[in-house]
This record gives sequence, C-alpha cells and structure tokens, in this order.
Amino acid sequence: MTPQAALQSEIFRTYAWIVAGVLVAAGLALAVLRWILKKEVGSVWLTYRSWLIMAPLIFGSILGGRVVFIVVLCLLAGIGFKEFARATGLYRDWWLTGAVYIGIIAVGITCLVPQPQGEEPGNGWYGLFVALPVFAVALILLIPIARNRVQGQLQGVALAIVGFIYMGWMFGHLAFMANATHAYGYLLYVIFATEINDVAAFTCGRLFGRRPFRSNISPKKTWGGTLGALAVSLILPWLLRFSFPHFGAKQLLLTGLIVGIGGQLGDLVISVIKRDIGIKDMGSGIPGHGGVLDRIDSLIYVAPLFLHMAGYFYGLR
Amino acid sequence: MTWRYEPAADLDQSLAERLRRFPREPDLTVYAVRSAAALLLRGWLRLFHRLRITGRENLPKEGSFVIVCNHTSHLDTLCVLAAMPLPKLHRVFPAAAQDYFFISAPRLAIAAIVVNALPFGRQKHIRQSLELCRSLLANPGNVLVLFPEGTRTSTGALGEFKPGIGSLVAGTDLPVVPCHLRGGFEAWPRGKWFPRPRKLHLRIGKPRSYAALPNDKESAKRISADLREAVAALGMD
Repeated sequence: MTPQAALQSEIFRTYAWIVAGVLVAAGLALAVLRWILKKEVGSVWLTYRSWLIMAPLIFGSILGGRVVFIVVLCLLAGIGFKEFARATGLYRDWWLTGAVYIGIIAVGITCLVPQPQGEEPGNGWYGLFVALPVFAVALILLIPIARNRVQGQLQGVALAIVGFIYMGWMFGHLAFMANATHAYGYLLYVIFATEINDVAAFTCGRLFGRRPFRSNISPKKTWGGTLGALAVSLILPWLLRFSFPHFGAKQLLLTGLIVGIGGQLGDLVISVIKRDIGIKDMGSGIPGHGGVLDRIDSLIYVAPLFLHMAGYFYGLR
Repeated sequence: MTWRYEPAADLDQSLAERLRRFPREPDLTVYAVRSAAALLLRGWLRLFHRLRITGRENLPKEGSFVIVCNHTSHLDTLCVLAAMPLPKLHRVFPAAAQDYFFISAPRLAIAAIVVNALPFGRQKHIRQSLELCRSLLANPGNVLVLFPEGTRTSTGALGEFKPGIGSLVAGTDLPVVPCHLRGGFEAWPRGKWFPRPRKLHLRIGKPRSYAALPNDKESAKRISADLREAVAALGMD
C-alpha cells in the first residue's frame, strides 16, 4: 500500500466512486425528505453530516499508505479504549491504562515490522501479532504485583484485559490487513460492507421491525432489522465481487455471514457494556454517532474473522 | 456479581465543556501535552528571558500551599510554573480570570491544558470561586497560585492586594509562599502581542502562616496587606 499504488488501484478508485455516489444519493434523499416532504430528519441529518467528514478521512488514511493506515488505526484503537476506560472508571488507574496503551502500541509495531524469519515472508510480524494477548495479559496481571495492591484489582485487571483484547487487538486486525496482498479489496470491502450492514439494520428495523431482538441489551434492535441487515450483507459480496476476484462461492458466502452476523455482534457487545454501566453513548466525539467506539464497534468482530477466513483459504501475503 | 463502575463525570460533554469545568477529570493526553509544553516553555524562558529562580528551597515539600505573586504580565504564571518540580505540575493550579481565559477556544486550551488554570470569577461569583479554591486546597498536595492584584499592572508598579487571599488563609495552617517576578512588565507589557527578550528573575520567599488570626474581614485585610509587603520586599532585594 502506497499513495501511488492506491491511485493506480482499480479497486480503490471504484470504491471512491461508490462511496461518493452513495453519499450524494443519501444527501439528496435526505434533502427531499426534509425540504420537499417536510419530514423531521434531525438525528439522521447529524449522522449523515459526520459521514461527510469520516468518509474522506478513511479514504485519506488508506491513500496515505500502509504505515499511515496502521498508525491511524492504532490511534482509533487508543481513542476507543480511552472512551471505554472513561466509561468504566478504569481511567483513574494510570498503571493499568498505561499497560493497555503499551499493548496497543505493540499491536501497531507488530503490524509494521517485517516477519523476522520462517513462515510466510512479508510485512507484519504475524506470529507475534497473534500471540500478543499472552504478553499483554501477562503485563496487565503483573501490575498489581508490582504495586503491591489488592483492593479492587481484579475488576481493574479484568477491565484492562477486555479493553486490550477487544479495542486494541481484535480491532487491530484491521490494521494487520494492510499487509495483505489484496489489502485494498479486503480493507475497503470490510469497512464499507460493515457500515452498510449498520445502515441496513437501522433502515430495515424502521421499515419492518416489530419484534424486539435483544430487548434488555438494545431496546431498539428488532428481528426485522437484524435479518434484513443479514440479507443485505449476504448479497453484497456478490455485488462487490471485484474486491476479491479470487474468492469462490464458499468464501463469498462466508464473507456475507461474517459481516452480517459479526457486525451486529460487535454492536451488541458494546451495548452490553453501556447498559451495564448505565450510559447511553461511549463518548461525544462524533455528532450523531456518539463516541468513536460507538462507530467502530461493528468492525471489531468482522476484522479478525474476515482476516483469518481469507488467510485460511489463500494466505494473507 | 455486581461491579462498581465510576464513569467519568464529564462523559457526555464535548471537549470544550470538559476543559471549562472545574475540577477537571484527569486525562493522560492532557497530562502528556502539558508536560511537553512545560519542557518547551522552560527552555524558552531560560534561553529567551535568561530566567533565574532563587529561593526554591522555600517551597514546602509536602501538603497543600498557596503561592502569591505580583502580576506584571502573562509571563508570571509561566515563571511560577517553571519553578515547580515537573512531577508536581498537574497539581499546581494558577487562578485565571474566568471572563478572560475561559471564553474563547484558543485561550481556553492554553488555560486548561497548558497552565492547568482554575477558573476564577473576578466580577461575579467571587464567593463561589473562593469556595472552589478552599476545596482544592483541602486535598493534600495541591498548590494554588494566586495573583491578588486581580489584574495585570498597567504601570509596572505593584497594585493593591484584594482581601480574597486573606479570607482564604485566615485561621488555617496553610502555608502562603510570597513570590516576586522582576522584568515581567518590561518583557511583555499589557497590549503587546509578543514578549521581548528581557531578563526575568523570580524570587521565592519564606512561607507564612496565619493560623493565629480569626477568620474575619479585618484579618483578611491585614493578611492581604502583609502579603503585599512581603512580595514588595522581595522585589527590593
């Protein structure tokens, strides 16, 4: 991934056109609803406006090349973890939050450095990247011992481990994907399809959602929305097949399932955390979306599952 | 199993709102930026203004205390901060005018992030502001920096001290450390955009305590006058 390669990549250019087209179409649809049909579109309008800023940022970081993308992803993971730490109260413990930040930096480094020896050659130290939770968990568990503390440590340590594994390492798989031979297709598809899956769940829920899906966790989610989003996600790999021309029918089906199910699971996991704490949003950084974590949550399941599926069938690099 | 979560009190607030509130929630990013800015500013003060600090040994090693200083320019706060040990930086709170520093975004960023300022209402809410100072000092290890003249001097001369500092410390064993900065007015007088390369000298005096005085208006005036004298005497040396 380099700026030149991105500009020459048919896949990158096609996605840029698709996303621009979707944003223009959505903007026109909202404008018609708001000014011609005089409907109330307040919160959706805010969400849409934030997309107008986020979409160029995502394309810009991919256009910037492998290093830029990995650094941006680690920053996002760091911001996501910070929101989690502030929401749970873990942020008051500098040592534990510091250890998680070190873990996130380690995710970035293992994504950046080349494989030292053995296995498949190429960028990214895959073996260490996959083994990182061992070292991070060991470091986090060492902290109460180093500080000679007991009270409340199990809660702190457990929160830090969830924070690292979920927001740092699992989300970090998206950064590692930048090392794949088919990085543009994989990354752009995973990000685009997961966001479409979110939008589809919202739209289908509004249109045919009646029965609640997980009433205690996310009261607004319905079976209609969930199944509608899954259906859209199952069709999408076929429509955007140019993203991974080497995929067969089995891989396309798996891709659809991973995005359709994983996207919703990621969302629900963050909802469980929010409901348990008793807050509405993880932060207030993105108007109309909530915090960064509220935006990236769906990608957290999808990224590792897709990476390992693609790696299993074709090798990554 | 029930866990006790303690979310940040400013969770649903925007960055500007979070910086404007006081006390602010601890934030590692803010601490990192503040530490880096402090290093740069210390370098700048040493190189550009040849800042000299004498009497550092007079700063109490433990507990909370108050620093009072003459107010000649914006450099005063930076010089007092430069005299504090770096690890203590995030517990030093210079009182800054709410109506000047906590309104526009750039000033707010400097006041809350770089200076770690406490918003002080000069015209309105003076009582609440003093209450805020009291609760801050109740937490051992916090340092409050006050400029009792209430505003920067327009002539270079030391102005009258307002009685607020007196009512804050009368009848308490809080040490009050008088400081004097020389050269601040010549370096960066009111109305100038940038400081000029003039020498600065910060003198730190011996701490005083007013535990024996009752907490009334009369003592407040006496303490303010006494502290003004102490600051002026440091300037005579």
